[in-house]
Amino acid sequence: MIASIPSAVLSGVDGRPVRVEVHVANGLPGFTVVGLPDAAVRESRDRVRAAFVSTGLPWPRRRITVNLAPSGVRKGGAGLDLPIAIGVLVASGTMTQESVAGHAFVGELGLDGSLRGVPGVLVLADALADLALVVAEVDGPEASLAGGTCRSAPSLVDVVARCTGRRPWPAIVVPGGGNDGSPPGADAPVADLADLADVRGQVMARRALEVAATGGHHVLMVGPPGAGKTLLATRLPGILADLDPETSRTVSRIHSAAGVARSTTTLIRRPPFRAPHHGLSAVAMIGGGSGGHRPGEVGLAHGGVLFLDELGEFPTAVLDALRQPLEEGVVRISRSQGSSTCPARFLLVGAMNPCPCGTGGVPGACRCSPAARARYARRLSGPLLDRFDITLRVDRPDGAELVGRGAGESTAVVAARVAEARERARARGVRANAELEVSSLDRFAPLDPRASALLERQLRSGGLSARGLHRVRRLARTVADLEGAGSIVEADHVAEALTLRGSRALLLGEEVR
Amino acid sequence: MTVLDDDLACAAALVGLGGMTPVRLVRILDGFGPLVAWRALAAGTHPADRAHRFTAEARVVDPSEVADRYRSAGARVLIPGRPGYPAALVGDPGAPAVLSATGDPTVLDARPAVAVVGTRSATRYGVRVASDLGRGLAGAGVAVVSGLASGIDAAAHAGALAAGPGGAPPVAVVGTGLDVVYPRENAALWAQVSGSGAVFSEAALGTPARPRVFPARNRIIAGLADVVVVVECHGRGGSLHTVEAAARRSVPVCAVPGAVHSPASRGTNGLLVDGCTPVRDVDDVLVALALARGTPRVPLVPDWRAGPESDAGTAVELDRVERAVWDAVGSEPTNIETVLLRTNLSLATLAGTADALAQRGLLVAGAGWWSRA
Repeated sequence: MIASIPSAVLSGVDGRPVRVEVHVANGLPGFTVVGLPDAAVRESRDRVRAAFVSTGLPWPRRRITVNLAPSGVRKGGAGLDLPIAIGVLVASGTMTQESVAGHAFVGELGLDGSLRGVPGVLVLADALADLALVVAEVDGPEASLAGGTCRSAPSLVDVVARCTGRRPWPAIVVPGGGNDGSPPGADAPVADLADLADVRGQVMARRALEVAATGGHHVLMVGPPGAGKTLLATRLPGILADLDPETSRTVSRIHSAAGVARSTTTLIRRPPFRAPHHGLSAVAMIGGGSGGHRPGEVGLAHGGVLFLDELGEFPTAVLDALRQPLEEGVVRISRSQGSSTCPARFLLVGAMNPCPCGTGGVPGACRCSPAARARYARRLSGPLLDRFDITLRVDRPDGAELVGRGAGESTAVVAARVAEARERARARGVRANAELEVSSLDRFAPLDPRASALLERQLRSGGLSARGLHRVRRLARTVADLEGAGSIVEADHVAEALTLRGSRALLLGEEVR
Repeated sequence: MTVLDDDLACAAALVGLGGMTPVRLVRILDGFGPLVAWRALAAGTHPADRAHRFTAEARVVDPSEVADRYRSAGARVLIPGRPGYPAALVGDPGAPAVLSATGDPTVLDARPAVAVVGTRSATRYGVRVASDLGRGLAGAGVAVVSGLASGIDAAAHAGALAAGPGGAPPVAVVGTGLDVVYPRENAALWAQVSGSGAVFSEAALGTPARPRVFPARNRIIAGLADVVVVVECHGRGGSLHTVEAAARRSVPVCAVPGAVHSPASRGTNGLLVDGCTPVRDVDDVLVALALARGTPRVPLVPDWRAGPESDAGTAVELDRVERAVWDAVGSEPTNIETVLLRTNLSLATLAGTADALAQRGLLVAGAGWWSRA
């Protein structure tokens, strides 16, 4: 007899529907799985058989063949345990075809017949939206976020009992997910996150973060160890607005597919913050790997902040791999077994020391030779440096200057200003000013005469390149939005943009001479 | 360029022997002329070389070829007792047995010399003071001696050159061979100093920049100078070698005071605490020089001072915001963060105002730091 059970496997950040076909026939008892299974799927034979035996379900002492269709693509993960088990039950006549009609199954089996969760349930549920999806009890809330019909059970025996109608399917209760009466998407409130009020002083850096959050401008922080670069970077997600519904769904799918720790009861509404260590590989950064194109750090940072501390210590190959996502907002991973695309639009925040000794930039303090400084700065390629609209000097706060000053503005206050200024960008048809086309700058960011004189002077003195000019104009547009100015960009806005943009000398830790 | 005679050729060849150090050279030439010493080394009979360290090489090297190399590099070889060897070094406890020089080595004769030295990682303040001292001293007829390193050294030389043809010629003592320009960015300055003054070295041609050559060079600077002025130096560094060498020779050491917060003034302020003479301008140096040489102080060119410099910013009109920014920047380089804290202005207003001040030449915007021009 033949059974055909719908299920799905992960492919990058997408779910791929799979049919599990099970054929039980007379012959020497045996159990084979065909259709390009990977090691985890091949091992599921042993788990399925053990689950049957330990729960008292009858194991057919006949020849069992399992085919995973379409058979041309590689399938991985333990989520196919449950559909294989159900297929065996149906094909051997323990359950009827009708009892499983309209259902899809995803779940890993324990040797005692219990059902375990699998990564990427949200994505898999999306791929099986037109069927009633049966998952492990722990995966129930996440699967129901997809919006389709969803059922959950703690063990294989319960699945059989509920499918055959001997017991009813319990409703899945999602705390905060909408069906327990509370409003949907109640995520961690902003106040719980690292607050900007914790940062003492750093007026310039705070302002730079505010501008970066408003305009989507990438930031490079240069400063000695202990100046507070990491502290500042962790405050950036807090002042970013909540994710819009579409991005929220995308981000949740990516995090689900990657199996990273998160709340499974709601979609991710707050911008994620990723801070990988500089020892990571290019694959870990952009995604890939043998396990079916797992999303990398750039994917996980989609919609949020990618913070690279000690930027100069990252391998060149890893940094150069950032160029495509920075340019296009997606990352394409191609392997011999196919390619996949993962959204990767993030705010890049880099941090580095100004020179090998770390004190560069403070007049008279650095004893590094100019050659050593140049070598240090050369670790970053020009094209990557070009992406940073803001290059910021961060020094240790001077206690004497801070005496008598209260705490700075809190995250909530700044976030409100950012959200308001972002609205102005949205009216121009872009998510943020950093995405404004060069051709639309004259329309959306016209300069007053003093502002254009200032820029012309910079161009003539060689302090600004043609490409840098566009970047400064976008930055100035963001500054003007924050200042609540009208459509015209004024000289002060341009001057601030030029100051925020910094210079190559700043990067090199050179001093005022 | 005169043809080098045998003694000078052998002196040059001795300096270039592998493993030769200033101390060994002094021993080898102690009581021997260079030609005699060379022959004794080649014969293996030199009493200062019983281990025959130099014998093999001395047998294969032809001193006249070495002399040719010096000639084509435009360098002269100087030994005590021959014309060109600086008189100030005769009798010096650490005098080099052999020197080489480009330019005119006699510029130090009949002229007082002041060494202006300091850190390579100088601040804008230090560079300005060194340059002013260089120009003022050269204008007053004093030869400015320094080491052609970056930072204070370069600024002192450049200042001395800026005094023009009427000023005293600059003198440099370098640690590398005369054909090895280090640091590279000083190549033009090196050529100018050599062209209008002199560049001395005790190293053989081709000697690269090594950490140990610079302290050795510093003792020669101290030996040539009548007064040593340290403009800026850190708590530890090469300038303090010069100070130590000067103290051993009873050469007066002056130091330029700096801000107590400035890392580049830590060494000089320490020297002042230890009793060195403070120096604010050329006048102070000339007083120290007159005391050192026991001569009245005005014999030098009378109009050495080019004219007083006004404190920019006090003479010009500033509006309220401009004045606030000007005051907040203060007299030392200040980072933008501090100016923001002091003025409570928005970054846009501050940046705009700073740009206006910079355009009027009142403010210099550096890498995240601003200072008054």
